[in-house]
Amino acid sequence: MNGEFRVKRKRIRRFSTYRVLEHWGIILTTMILFATGLCQRFWHLDLSQWFILKLGGIDNVRLIHRYTGLLFSLQLFSNVLVGILGVLRGRWQPSMFITKKDYEDAIHNIRYYFGFENQPAKCDRYDYMEKFEYWTILVGGILMIMTGVILWLPTLVTRILPGEFIPAAKALHSNEAMLIFLLNAVWHIYNSIFSPEAFPLDTSIFTGYISRERMIREHPLEYARMEGVAPEELEKNVPGETQSLKVGVPAK
Amino acid sequence: MKAGTRIRWTLALLLSLLVLPAAGGQARQADESGASRKCLLCHGKKGIVKTFLNEETVEAYVNPEKIRASVHNFLTCSECHSGFSAESHPSGQYKSRDQYRLRSSSICRRCHSADKIKNKAVHATLLKKEKLGVTPVCTNCHNAHSVTAASGGKIFSNEKQYCQSCHQHELSMKFRNEERMSLQVDLAALDSSAHGKLRCSDCHYGYSSEEHPEKRFRSRREYVIASSESCRRCHFDNYTKTLDSVHYSLLSHGNLKAPVCNDCHGSHQIAHISHGVKGGLITTQRCKRCHPAVYETYAKSVHGNALINEQNQDVPICIDCHTAHDIQNPMTMAYHEKIPQMCGNCHANPAVVGKYGLSTDVLKTYLEDFHGVTLGFYKKEREELYKPARPIAVCNDCHGTHNIVSTVSADPASVKKNLVKRCQKCHLDATEKFPSAWLFHYKPSLSKYPMIFFVNGIYRIFLPIMWAGLILQVLLHIWRYAVNR
Repeated sequence: MNGEFRVKRKRIRRFSTYRVLEHWGIILTTMILFATGLCQRFWHLDLSQWFILKLGGIDNVRLIHRYTGLLFSLQLFSNVLVGILGVLRGRWQPSMFITKKDYEDAIHNIRYYFGFENQPAKCDRYDYMEKFEYWTILVGGILMIMTGVILWLPTLVTRILPGEFIPAAKALHSNEAMLIFLLNAVWHIYNSIFSPEAFPLDTSIFTGYISRERMIREHPLEYARMEGVAPEELEKNVPGETQSLKVGVPAK
Repeated sequence: MKAGTRIRWTLALLLSLLVLPAAGGQARQADESGASRKCLLCHGKKGIVKTFLNEETVEAYVNPEKIRASVHNFLTCSECHSGFSAESHPSGQYKSRDQYRLRSSSICRRCHSADKIKNKAVHATLLKKEKLGVTPVCTNCHNAHSVTAASGGKIFSNEKQYCQSCHQHELSMKFRNEERMSLQVDLAALDSSAHGKLRCSDCHYGYSSEEHPEKRFRSRREYVIASSESCRRCHFDNYTKTLDSVHYSLLSHGNLKAPVCNDCHGSHQIAHISHGVKGGLITTQRCKRCHPAVYETYAKSVHGNALINEQNQDVPICIDCHTAHDIQNPMTMAYHEKIPQMCGNCHANPAVVGKYGLSTDVLKTYLEDFHGVTLGFYKKEREELYKPARPIAVCNDCHGTHNIVSTVSADPASVKKNLVKRCQKCHLDATEKFPSAWLFHYKPSLSKYPMIFFVNGIYRIFLPIMWAGLILQVLLHIWRYAVNR
């Protein structure tokens, strides 16, 4: 990752292989966590009971859930660590941090939806919706890990904390799980699959590449920075197919 | 006697020549001899009373109808009452009614010799006793003047009376181990029992006025166990249930102390089913006979105390948890898993516990918590995956089993101390803060467990708002996209 990317035809490199693999890891662990967790939360449903018995019983399900949780925690910590180190060493832009512009963009887009603006907000590498999703999952994930540990080791925790923390952790764990689940089910799945702009699938996180059209439409500020032009000029001046581009540092 | 026989034979011969098939019948029609008719002139009317030396009396009335229908209708009165005739009517002096009856028996034995009657078990037994000096009295069982054919109608108006004619007396039965058992039956008690309308042979099958087989049991206990088999003829459902019970299992392993039907229900004094306090008390007393220690513990518990001292009908008695007939081993996992439902039968029913100010949420709060959910799954796993389950704490693990005390009056400090000990059975490294991880059946509220109440409350508000916001954003996005096109 030296910051040099060749534009192959109309595609631009958006995610490194590390991020592609990281996403696969998150998909797998969260799918397992949701499957084994939701069936515990909604234990009274026939489907849950069928699933739990298929997995060989509640003890097995709890075991799978806890160790997958451990795996998820490792992924989350490495994501944070890699991000912090990358920013500290100056290799990446802190592009995931929420700024004042994100709030403005959100208001701008709502105005745009209602027809008060002609253009949608011009976003950088990550738009405010992507940031919202990332931070919700990151903060939610940390909450899940903390409460998960409390539920895993209740006797150890009650050596220090009052017993009430155990059922409180349980309430938080299952409520936060619902929040993350709904966010993913509604928001992320819509944005990457069912949104008219992405349908049938936004492949960039799997291939690592994004089309130039989408780049200009969705991340015009980043693209303009790559091109070294003002964002307003992008629409008039679309670069040719074979042109080699000095791509900006693909921060985070 | 000779004259009567002659007449009978002559008539029989004459009539058999005319109507052969009716021969027997006609022979029986032997007219009462002139002598007998004369006797009946006085004795056929009520009112004549014979007084014995000890002031006992007997009515000297003879029902002419009955004697005509009896097997002895061909006899003249004087054939039994020898010495009596129209001319001679000696006034015999007897000490007592019993003495008179004894003497009468010796008249019967003139024709019905020991050799002739010994083939019947009931007679054989009596004859054995005779050798020991106890003379049997024929009229104890057979009526004097209305004796009917053994194969014919009954002497008594019902079987119970027939059996009672012997079994009202102090008879006893000896077992091979020299134990004895009284065979005396209290008719009044029997009549007022639940089985008052049954005939003796309904239970004592094989016995009748004709059959009285002698049975030899090793011991009284073996007899009781064998008799309990009678119950299944009518109570097949409950009998079948007992075959699955822990009591039957003990019995089948050779433990003769294991209770059978009559140990709990009795034999001749089977009580009517009583759902009242009295019935409950009686039932617990029955169990107490073999389980005295458990009973004592129960009697001191909140349930037992209310039953015994307050005549409370809402509290559970032994059979409410253990059932009456298909009593299961309470140490099994299957029984353990049933306990929350067992307690819930009352404690989740507002009609039962509502009036005592007890919460009916106790079952729900248990079942929805970690232990309840795990218990439910362990049960399913055991049944469907044949997986051996670990015991999970159920109601009695914290509240006790037979020694349940009221949680209202209990000292909270001691409850908590005991609770830690219970938790440590499974959670080995639990400390004294650990039990408070359990919410003691309370639902989180502002006053109870506010932390959990707030966590749930925040999400209850935040989740729908976020959900609605995201949906709105999606819809607006689609709408704008459609408008742009």
